[in-house]
Amino acid sequence: MTTLKKSLGLRAALLSLLIFAAIVGLWQIAAQPPAASGPAVDPEYAKLVGAAAATGAKSAMPTPADIGVTIWKHLMDPFYVKGTNDKGIGIQLAYSLGRVLLGFGLAALFAVPLGFLIGMSPLVYRALDPFIQILKPVSPLAWMPLALYTIKDSAISSIFVIFICSVWPMLINTAFGVASVRREWLNVARTLEVGPFRTAFKVILPAAAPTIMTGMRISIGIAWLVIVAAEMLVGGTGIGYFVWNEWNNLSIANIVTAILLIGVVGLLLDQGLARLTKLVTYPE
Amino acid sequence: MDRPLQRPLISVEGLARRFGDSNQPAVFENIWFGIDRGEFVCLIGHSGCGKTTILNVLAGLDQPSDGAVIVDNREIDGPSLDRAVIFQGHALLPWLSVMGNIAFAVSSRWPSWDRAKVQDHARKFIELVGLKGAEAKKPSQLSGGMKQRVGIARALSIQPKMLLMDEPFSALDALTRGMLQDEVLRICADTNQTVFMITHDVDEAILLADKIVLMTNGPGAKIAEIVVNTMPRNERHRNDLHRHPQYYAIRNHLVEFLVNRSKAFDQEIADGSYDPRRLKLVKPGLAAVNPPAEVVPLRHTL
Amino acid sequence: MFKDPFDPKTLLKPRCSCGGDHAPADHARLSAVPASDEQRFSRVVDAAVLRAVFPVDAQRRQFLKTVGATTAMAAISSVFPLATAREAFAQGGAPEKKDLKVGFIPITCATPIIMAHPMGFYSKQGLNVEVVKTAGWAVIRDKSLAKEYDAAHMLTPMPLAISLGIGSNPVPWTMPAVENINGQAITLAIKHKDKRNPKDWKGFRFAVPFDYSMHNYLLRYYVAEHGLDPDKDISIRSVPPAEMVANLRADNIDGYLGPDPFNQRAVFDGVGFIHVLTKELWDGHPCCAFTVSKEFATQNPNAYRALLKAIIEATAYASKQENRKEIARAIAPTNYLNQPETVLEQILTGTYADGLGAVKKDPNRIDFDPFPWNQFAIWIMTQMKRWGQLKGDVDYAKVAADVYLATDTANMMKEMGLTPPDPSKKTIVIMGKAFDPAKPNEYVESFAIKRS
Ligand SMILES: Nc1ncnc2c1ncn2[C@@H]1O[C@H](COP(=O)(O)OP(=O)(O)O)[C@@H](O)[C@H]1O
Ligand SMILES: [Mg+2]
Repeated sequence: MTTLKKSLGLRAALLSLLIFAAIVGLWQIAAQPPAASGPAVDPEYAKLVGAAAATGAKSAMPTPADIGVTIWKHLMDPFYVKGTNDKGIGIQLAYSLGRVLLGFGLAALFAVPLGFLIGMSPLVYRALDPFIQILKPVSPLAWMPLALYTIKDSAISSIFVIFICSVWPMLINTAFGVASVRREWLNVARTLEVGPFRTAFKVILPAAAPTIMTGMRISIGIAWLVIVAAEMLVGGTGIGYFVWNEWNNLSIANIVTAILLIGVVGLLLDQGLARLTKLVTYPE
Repeated sequence: MDRPLQRPLISVEGLARRFGDSNQPAVFENIWFGIDRGEFVCLIGHSGCGKTTILNVLAGLDQPSDGAVIVDNREIDGPSLDRAVIFQGHALLPWLSVMGNIAFAVSSRWPSWDRAKVQDHARKFIELVGLKGAEAKKPSQLSGGMKQRVGIARALSIQPKMLLMDEPFSALDALTRGMLQDEVLRICADTNQTVFMITHDVDEAILLADKIVLMTNGPGAKIAEIVVNTMPRNERHRNDLHRHPQYYAIRNHLVEFLVNRSKAFDQEIADGSYDPRRLKLVKPGLAAVNPPAEVVPLRHTL
Repeated sequence: MFKDPFDPKTLLKPRCSCGGDHAPADHARLSAVPASDEQRFSRVVDAAVLRAVFPVDAQRRQFLKTVGATTAMAAISSVFPLATAREAFAQGGAPEKKDLKVGFIPITCATPIIMAHPMGFYSKQGLNVEVVKTAGWAVIRDKSLAKEYDAAHMLTPMPLAISLGIGSNPVPWTMPAVENINGQAITLAIKHKDKRNPKDWKGFRFAVPFDYSMHNYLLRYYVAEHGLDPDKDISIRSVPPAEMVANLRADNIDGYLGPDPFNQRAVFDGVGFIHVLTKELWDGHPCCAFTVSKEFATQNPNAYRALLKAIIEATAYASKQENRKEIARAIAPTNYLNQPETVLEQILTGTYADGLGAVKKDPNRIDFDPFPWNQFAIWIMTQMKRWGQLKGDVDYAKVAADVYLATDTANMMKEMGLTPPDPSKKTIVIMGKAFDPAKPNEYVESFAIKRS
């Protein structure tokens, strides 16, 4: 049984590698610049334009090899600072992560207690429901102009946008988790004359924890998606700014590097929360 | 037996419960009965007649629409550590271990106790229900019988004045149920517990109960009568219960009630002889020897 | 630079950083720079104190007339330690704020603002300026309004729009210097290389960087002169400059009137060709500007002056052809424009590949001239009016004078030994049609294609 599983895992990994190799190979071939067959141009003109344009073609996609080189270059020196607008990719990621964790943390501090309240009180739930229903589907980036306008600080605004986009899944999941704590567990606490705070922390919180954590996992995923977009909009620092800055330069290799790193960090965040979720999940 | 002007330990007086608005029919109404200190009382009735609701009111988890429950001469107004509940589903907290579940109850009872003291105390009750060695297990790792034992240990660990049990063994297989019944009998005898237990198992009631309260079908369920188990406690043994001379008389009486009378009780009392405050105490076990059933008031009117 | 506050004829309403009320008539007299900094500071301090004592100008003038300046000084000295105040101010002649943030959009229009950083023009004025790359015009506007930036690179119509409250709350904004003139182009996708007559452009999708931009107004002007209605015959949408090349490449647009480097960048990447330089529509048109809020200029007069001085110096340096290659090298790195050096060099030197295989030479493709002609502002407002962005009546000359601080710039240029032009002498001819800034309404009316 276990050997079968192992061999399945192994085979899946092999297949993944194979798919990866195939994609990279196809890409390498497809991105090969066409052999110089275009009209021969004036050498003086050729000096003024990119290699592809000199042969009368559009500039080509970078090959996987180009991207490998770019990634290597960034990973070798991730923390340099060459001015306000030119910092290493590690620093940019740290900025983005910092914003996400701050906005997300604040959202958790806000959403979990409020979600508790909503989950425990059908009255509060009814009262707040219309607001939640209206605000929840608003695209986080739509908040950006409003935030910039009212908060008048782009750093705080992007944290606010993270806050506002990560607040809903946590709020809704907390409220749902709290509201659906099994009646009999609450009754156990009541028959033991447990006070409201002890009940909240010892019964409701652990009972709702898996649902709350699932909300957090959704939230951090959204937050990480949104920070990149927010930073592209506001600029300054962060991996989103990095992407935007390299887009200015039409540097696909740098953008692909950033995309891969964004993916890896997103995966790590998700896995981290998945681990935490597992810790608080209880089988019944 | 009742003494004049003195209430039993638990006195249920004129209880009614309606769900929804007040013109809905009551699940049950005008329920009067009492439980004396040290007595083991079973409530028998068909599913849905309102047994759990009555138990919840006794536990303080539910408010009656009418009437009151007087315990120790005080009307109850909420749950109390004096009245431990063993729930129909075991209601263990699944994220806590066996020890954690019981320690939670113990530290609720004695908040000033330190961890070591709480655990020592909890361990005694884990041993009492025969779960030594399973302290660290989570409920999901336990069998149904073991879970119910944890529930019993949790209820006993807070050393309550009375135990309220809602079909505690109904989900168990016959073998486990039998073993647990014996254990509960032993523990209750040892600690002289006052017990109110719901069951729909006639044999279980005969084995455990000193009095058996018969509840008619809802809506508007009533207590039809109270059957006194005239088989002395020390003559009740699970394995040879059926050999006891009174056994069949009592059993037949209960089965007859469940099968026929619980449905048609309203016709039975059409003559107006029924007084919910002065229930008939019937002793079918003695009926063969002493035919006339005496009518004894449940308690004296105040 | 500073007027004598004890001259009874002088008004003392703070109008700009230097504390002077710059009615054009007063300029010749006022621009007589005091002999020393010390003398200048003492005048400023005296003026401030007088203003505090006599907030009403008429009263102050009456007082000075009656008692005479010297007596007034003595009288005030008796209750206010003027000497101490003057001393304090003289020491504070250094910038009130040394660490400044200046926002820029990474385009060659911002060259003076950007190059002043690596080439030391800011530090020479004792300023520690951080030049912050910003993602778009709306963001740079909002960050400026939010005071995250002390000064910012904007499009020349933006300070007008901000002051007029078009597209944002009205906030008094000033534009003491233009950055560049010319330097934009219409770039078309390679596939349109045979459609060089705008009459063939019906249905084209164009991009401009911002609604309130010279790019928008020039493109509209250009197609309208060729008989196309820019709102009906073509479509124009705002696209951030950086996204123009990508959109052209992806065939989402047919062309754009955009800022460099993105015209030349399209050529460099073989995606488009330069159809026409905006210089050929209007030689010497303004594009981008150096702007500050009125509040910043008033509250930090010394920092404002130092900043403006750095910008004007940098602009003067950039206007010299022989410096252009050096500048291209200075602003190419990731920290600034993040572009291939050769692209910037072609733009700045004017020897460039046109995208169709020819090398063209036009040294004035982009030029740098800080003077904020009020006529520019009036022309811009006529176009806002023409295309329906500006509704109702507007006092063209007043708004222009309030926002485009031509006198400040002129004074500063003089102080720096440069010769400012005569602010009244500016002829504007666009595609052969002359613009008379004295008759803005008639000018708007003269167009066949318009929205108002
Ligand atoms: N919370 C409630 N709301 C409405 N009806 C209820 C509620 N709880 C119980 N009931 C109804 O009351 C009746 C008695 O329920 P219950 O006391 O659980 O019966 P039993 O325990 O005897 O099987 C049932 O008909 C049930 O539908
Ligand atoms: Mg029940």
